[in-house]
Order: sequence, then C-alpha cells, then structure tokens
Amino acid sequence: MSDISGIIFSEYTIHLAILVGLYAILAQSLNLTFGLGQLFNLAHVASYAIGAYTTALLSTEAQWQFVPCVAASILLSGAFSVFLGTIALRLTNDYFAIGTLAFGAVVSSLLINWRSVTHGVLGIPGIPRPEILGLDMYQNSNFLALLLVFVVAVQALYFAISRGPFGRSLRALAEYDQAAAALGINTRLVRNVAFLLSSAAAGLAGSFFAYYLNYIDPTSFAFGEMIFLMTIVVVGRPGSFFGVLLSTAFLVLLPEPLRFLNLDSATLGPMRQLLYSLILFAVVWWKRRSIFPEQREV
Amino acid sequence: MLEILPQLLVNALITGSIYALASSGLALTYGVLRILNFAHGHVMMVGAYTFFFFTVERSLPIAESSILASLAIAVLGVLVLAVFILPFSRGNSLLPLVTTIALGSILEALVSMWFGVSVRSLPLPGAGDSLEFAGVFITPLQVGIILSALVIFAVLGFVVHSSPLGRSVRALAEHPQAAQGLGVSRTKVLLGVFTTSMLLAAYAGVLVGYETNLQPTMGGSYSLKAFAAMILGGLGNMWGTIVGALILGLLENLSIGLDFGGYSLPAGYKDAFAYVIILCALLFRPQGLFGTGERRA
Repeated sequence: MSDISGIIFSEYTIHLAILVGLYAILAQSLNLTFGLGQLFNLAHVASYAIGAYTTALLSTEAQWQFVPCVAASILLSGAFSVFLGTIALRLTNDYFAIGTLAFGAVVSSLLINWRSVTHGVLGIPGIPRPEILGLDMYQNSNFLALLLVFVVAVQALYFAISRGPFGRSLRALAEYDQAAAALGINTRLVRNVAFLLSSAAAGLAGSFFAYYLNYIDPTSFAFGEMIFLMTIVVVGRPGSFFGVLLSTAFLVLLPEPLRFLNLDSATLGPMRQLLYSLILFAVVWWKRRSIFPEQREV
Repeated sequence: MLEILPQLLVNALITGSIYALASSGLALTYGVLRILNFAHGHVMMVGAYTFFFFTVERSLPIAESSILASLAIAVLGVLVLAVFILPFSRGNSLLPLVTTIALGSILEALVSMWFGVSVRSLPLPGAGDSLEFAGVFITPLQVGIILSALVIFAVLGFVVHSSPLGRSVRALAEHPQAAQGLGVSRTKVLLGVFTTSMLLAAYAGVLVGYETNLQPTMGGSYSLKAFAAMILGGLGNMWGTIVGALILGLLENLSIGLDFGGYSLPAGYKDAFAYVIILCALLFRPQGLFGTGERRA
C-alpha cells in the first residue's frame, strides 16, 4: 500500500501533474481561438511569455506578492491581446496567420534583445514561490494544489463559454461569418473577447510557469512551443473540450519514456520536436476532411 | 556618417539580392497555388545543409556538390508538394498552413539530429580578398551573388513573360478554371513552379551559408523575411516581392549601420525589421506597395 502511494505522490509524478496542469490551461485557451473560433493565432505563446515575464520581473525586482503578480500577468497578457486583435482581426486567412506570426516574433525578439528589461538570453533567476494561507509553495504538492484551483477554474470557464451563446456565436463566425453577421452577431466584438479571454488565460499559465521553475529565459517561449500547443489542440480535435484535455495529458506524458534512454539533451530536444510535428502532420492528414468545419461563402 | 553610406548601400544590395532569391520563389508559388508555405525558410536551411553535406562532409568539388544538392532538393520538392501540400489544397484553408508549419518543424528536427544544433559555415575556396572601389569594399563572392541574382531574375523574367510555360503559369495565377478548361495542366505547372521555388530557396540558403553561417533554427526567421518581402510587394506578385526584398535589405543595413545622433539600434534587432514591416504593411497597405485592386485582407 505504501509502495503505491509512494509512486503516486513521488516528486516526479507531482512534477508531471504540474506540467499537465499548466498545459491544460494553455491548450484549452488556445482551443477557444484556434479551435472554436478557427482563428489561426500564432501569437499565443507570446501571451504566455508576457504573463511569465510580468510575474518574474514583478516578484524579483519589485517584490510583489502572489495575488498582484498573477493579476498583473493576466491583465498585461489581456492588454496585449487587445493590441494584437486590433491589428490582426481586421485580416483574414493567410494575412491573419502572417500577422500573428510577426507579432509573436516581435515579442520573441524583445525577450532576447531588450536586455535592460528582460535580461536577454540570461533569463531571470530567483523567482520566489509565494506562501499562501501558511502553506509553503516550495513544497511541490502544495503548489500542485494551488495550480489545480486555477486549472479547474479555467476549464470550467471554457466549458461554460463553449456551450453558451458566446461559444455558439464564435463557432458560427468560424463557419459562415457573413451569415452570422446577418443574424446580428457583432463579429469584431465576439472575436476580440475570445482573444482577450484566451490571452489572459495564457498569461495566467505564464505566471504559474515562472513561479514553478523559479527561472525563465526566452527558450521556453520559442516557436516550437507554439507548434506543441497547436498539436495538442489538433490531436484533441479543435473545439472539443474533453478531447483537448485528454490530448494534453497524453502528449505531455508521451515523450517521458525517452528520458530513460539516457540521451543527451542535444538529441532529446530535436527528437521530441520530430515526434510532435510528425503527430501533428499525421493527424491533419488522417482527419483532413473533418478536422475543421467547411467554410461556406456567399 | 555619410562616408559609410555607399558601403551600406552596397551591403544592402548584397543582402537584398539574397532575400530576393529566397522570396521570389515563394511569390511565384503563391501566385499559382494560393497557399502560403511556412516551411519556405526551412527549405533554404535544408538546401544549405545538403550542399554542406556534399562539399564539406564528403569533400566533393563545388560543381558536383551543386548538381547533387540540386537533385536532392528537386526530389524533396516533388515529395513536399505531393505529401504536404496538394492533398490539402482543397477544403479548409487552415489545413495547408498547419501542414507546412509541421513540415518546417520536421525538417528542422531532422537537420538538428543529423548535423547537430551548433553553428556551421561553408568555407570559401581561396579565401576572398576584398576588392576596393572608391572606398567601398566588396568580396568576389558578393560580386558573384549580385551578378547571379541578376542573371537568374533575367532568365526567370524571360520564362515567365515570354515562354509558353510562363503563359500557363500566369494563366493559372489569373484564372485557374479558365486556364484548366483551355488545357493547361495544373499539376505539371505546379511541379515546375514549386521545384523552381525550392531550388531558388536552396541557392539563397547556400549563399547565406557562405556569407554568414548555418544553423538548423535559421529557417523560421527566413520564412518571416520572405513573407515580409512578399507582403510589401503584394502576395503572389513576383516582381513586387523582389523589390520588397531589396527594400528589406536596405532598411536592415541602414538601421544598423547609421547612428542617429549617438543612438544606434542594437544589431540584435536586425531581424525584427522584417516583423515590423509585416505589421506596418498589414495595417496600412495589405494589398502591397504595388497592389491596385481591391483590398483582399
């Protein structure tokens, strides 16, 4: 009996659970824009990075506490999405993809080059974990419990949104936006709100990521991360709540056995990248007729 | 500050030529296929590494390496078109965006595993002595880059504008149904155009390898640069894209080279120019600098 609980509560399992929790927030929030809304948002990782850097800088250089840091991360990532949405949501298809890709690239470039603020490639070390209600968050099991509260909140929010009138509007816009507009749906507003919610949730995930690792640098927010999130949503079926949750757990845990092959990190990184991008392509190939609803035009 | 201006202009022409070679193929493909290839920069990278494999790892002479690398890239082009692009060209327009992003990532991962992630460079035969013309320095290789770009664009211009093949390319770009109705084979033209585009990208990649260095992760930023050039010139407009590439080269070199009253832009921001150009162009002129038609964005 103690063996089993030893496995379940071992540091390694708790670490994996925390990773799954973080990615559940990130992937489900991408699912709102990319999945339900069919908005090919390639700047999602930028929102994540903004959340992480906000918490990292405020908690190390200004010694802000947990609640204001998380709130600031959510607000700044949300504000970023308003800025992004103003430019990108006027565009369609290919232009939208290029625009959000360029936006994400500007943020990546700032993370690396704006050294006076972001410390460039050196990253930001020494991000202190908070103490909440007398619980020491350096204990990973406590941190997991705290994270789970937010994971459940975000998932519940997504679930409510996707089944409600807002989710239906978003879905209608994705399939046939002229018809949706003719029914009186404010297309710009609906998409902007979706962007805002999605980006704010990514900011929240970023904040927790910074607290969890105690150290962040630009490599965690490279384009590969964007491809990974896209893979999770595609494998889970875009727009599907439970599908994306399951595929988050599946894909985060999938490369873990590779750890036991004793490969060096220079091989392990590309191997994981190859694995995920092959899965992404294979699923799109397999489901190419049904994965995205057919777009109809007048 | 003005003394270095001629040098900066020449540098801009060199960089611009490389960007033009890289992005013209993208525009040509987009014109016929209407599909944005996110892996275009990764093809540049693969082209450069293939050439690196033959010249450095197998130490073959440059001529043989060029032929073998071109063959390899042409085969890759056919495969990419058949597996990653054509099956998705009908149906939802998001599909080819996702598959070409996956392709770029697959290529990057494979090259990283084969050659390692560290920086490589292509060694110059007979290390180039700089030539000097009126205070402007230029290496023989750089002269070669500019001249080869001129020759390639002259040939490309001739083929596109005055040959039967070019007529079908333009017909397909303008009105696909009518062109196919009149007996133009879309598949054949696509194969030709796509392979040409891949070869141009690979050649540009080799030039980048000689001028600076190679890294498996360089693909993404070159894709973005090619997009920037193409958005400036108008999506699918080949000549516009070439001009856009020259403008991008000019802006990058002027911004880094000139100092604006004691304040100069850190060199790290050089790549960011392409991104800012994309965003400005999308905000103010989504039809491109030379577009006249309705706004498509």
